[in-house]
Amino acid sequence: MEVFNNFLTGTITLFSDPVGILIFFGGVIGGMLFGAIPGVSMLTLAAILLPFTAHLSPEHGIMLFSVIYCTGVYGGAITAILFNIPGAPENAPTAFDGYPMTQKGQAGKAVGAAVMCSAIGGVVSCIIMMIATAPIADWAISAFGPPEIFALVFFGLAVASSVGAKTFWKGWLSILIGLMVAVVGLDPVGGIARYDFEMPYMLAGIHFIPTILGFFAVSEIFVQAEKKAIGSYKAPKMGVEFPTLKELLAHKVAVVRSIFIGFFCGILPGIGATLAAFMGYNEAVRWSKTPEEFGKGKLEGVISSETANNAATGAAMIPLLALGLPGGALTAMMVGVFQMHDMEPGPLVFMNSADLVWVVFAAMFFANLSIIFVGYLETKTIINLLRIPFQFLAPMILLLATVGAYAVRGLTIDVVVMFLAGIVGFFLRRSGYSVAGIVLGLILGKIGEQTFAQAMQMLHFEWSGYFDRPIALGLLLAGFATLGGSIYGSFFKKAKPPSANPAT
Amino acid sequence: MGNLRTGHLVEGAIWLSLSLFLYAYSFDFDNDIEIYKFGATAWPRTIILLMAIAAIGQLYHHWKYGDEVSGNIINAANDDGSEEAAHEAHHESLSWYLSTFALLVIPFAYMRVPDWIAGWLEADGSTLHVLRMVIAVILIGLFMTQMKRNMVGAILALPLFFAVMLEDIGFYSLAPFFIVGVMFLFGETRPKPMAAIMGLIYGLLLLLFVKILFVGLPIGNIRPFYDFGSWVVTVLQ
Repeated sequence: MEVFNNFLTGTITLFSDPVGILIFFGGVIGGMLFGAIPGVSMLTLAAILLPFTAHLSPEHGIMLFSVIYCTGVYGGAITAILFNIPGAPENAPTAFDGYPMTQKGQAGKAVGAAVMCSAIGGVVSCIIMMIATAPIADWAISAFGPPEIFALVFFGLAVASSVGAKTFWKGWLSILIGLMVAVVGLDPVGGIARYDFEMPYMLAGIHFIPTILGFFAVSEIFVQAEKKAIGSYKAPKMGVEFPTLKELLAHKVAVVRSIFIGFFCGILPGIGATLAAFMGYNEAVRWSKTPEEFGKGKLEGVISSETANNAATGAAMIPLLALGLPGGALTAMMVGVFQMHDMEPGPLVFMNSADLVWVVFAAMFFANLSIIFVGYLETKTIINLLRIPFQFLAPMILLLATVGAYAVRGLTIDVVVMFLAGIVGFFLRRSGYSVAGIVLGLILGKIGEQTFAQAMQMLHFEWSGYFDRPIALGLLLAGFATLGGSIYGSFFKKAKPPSANPAT
Repeated sequence: MGNLRTGHLVEGAIWLSLSLFLYAYSFDFDNDIEIYKFGATAWPRTIILLMAIAAIGQLYHHWKYGDEVSGNIINAANDDGSEEAAHEAHHESLSWYLSTFALLVIPFAYMRVPDWIAGWLEADGSTLHVLRMVIAVILIGLFMTQMKRNMVGAILALPLFFAVMLEDIGFYSLAPFFIVGVMFLFGETRPKPMAAIMGLIYGLLLLLFVKILFVGLPIGNIRPFYDFGSWVVTVLQ
């Protein structure tokens, strides 16, 4: 009952504030559009908006990002279905069956299924998030000290190293680049300058906003430039034909299964919705009586993937809000929004800013719900917007990123850093590295080093102190087991061709 | 050599050299911290060690499996087509990398060369401004002659060139040329759509950021660009 009352309060606060309503609908439509337009993604939009959230209240800033997260995950399904270009990593399995459906002239049905299932997965996940986050945060206050947080960061990074890059080693190197960038500046204990190369600018560290903008927004433009050079950018053609209720009801088991999978994967720091979508899809194949039909345009493939990835969005907010640890690139940017308002996400947010938390929860609930209505209404508009030539979109995105990077501190060197990060990101991406891994390393690196130092001081520099802390020990062991498994796999498991489809 | 190619060796060498460089530089801040016995270097050195191990592991993977994807990871998250695009566009050759590098050097030349020459000539502020403009014109000419040979390399270098000139020329004077330049490099050659889109983007940005959000953008510090930037801000605000 308390949860329901809090939810109602959050809803009233959200919809009684005209600015909040404007930001909510801006986030819903913006997330969908940027998720849907090939060459950009919800991460591009989030990166561009990140600097400007400093001008918003913390409620509005976090709410905007959470809404973009929910609707952007759905929006990415549109490009996955129409172009075989997943808008975000979590939409990759949607393309396995969504794109073949487009080729068979059933794009409308695939998009319709994505609309329905994204909304269902997201709404259910939000309800569980509302019920579970506060108790977890309460428990975390007493059970989670610096050793546990450090151990969770280590575990999250260990898991994240096996997602997104071409090989485990490249995934690990991506994270290490991020960790190394986070080292630049003053060390968190003694205030000693590290890797400043005697440049005053470097003393404050490399700011994460230009870096994130460079790695996501700018490198994406460069990648699209290369694709354009070979003429692989094509405008889509499709009609709109949504699936019938009967068709959707026929897949109710897949929906329920994917909600469970999505939620439990989403709660893991470091991977979240990506693993959820893949596991949702893989389980659909495993449980199917006709697994051979997957990968050839089966509606259940789209349903399973899209339900699971949206079910992970609510779950991904739990480690962020309850423990202060982001699960992916977008939640990592949310940490940035908190930091710009001199706040730290974590269990204390529930005590100090309960209003903020419930406005965000209400916004996420309604954002997922609005996917059904806005998704249906906007699909045709989105299809028309997809026809905007990329040569007109590219300068706009680059200039928005420029303004975003400059506005943070009023330094043109930040713009230079952003474009350099974009160039580095471009070369790393085309070599099979993961830019999401770099950003996760960058954000978690600062938290990791600080909590490691605090933990070691708490434990009087005795590693054996971890044996008296079962949660920290368990997480460290799980992290080492994950790394050990990945290293073993990289030595002894057979490699596969880059475009291997798990369904085939 | 297994499945190792020259590119793999170069990649491995870059990672190992970077690790070595970062390790050597860490002695620069190897100071004791009274309350923390690991000091300021333990964390970065651990990362460097892991980086070197991962670089060797990566070399081993290339040696055993070549360019294939690890069998134990969720790779499709990364499968954004960038590698295939690079391969299909034949942008993996040494000559392409050299040509791209040459284009990327141009913005850095603008950052450094005028100051070197001014220092050598013992020039004052106004002479330095003139010098910057002369060198900018020469470098733009050089950029334009090089860009047709390597359009993707030019797209990488143009934003960087734009960024290093922002301080001197200012956002208001430079942005229209940047918009046209990006459109051109992306293959747009029709003057009317280019002019219309340039006006639309420029107008929207000024309206949103200068008129509505009052974001202070660089106005430049060389005349007449400085005067133009100030005039735009005065008119809009």
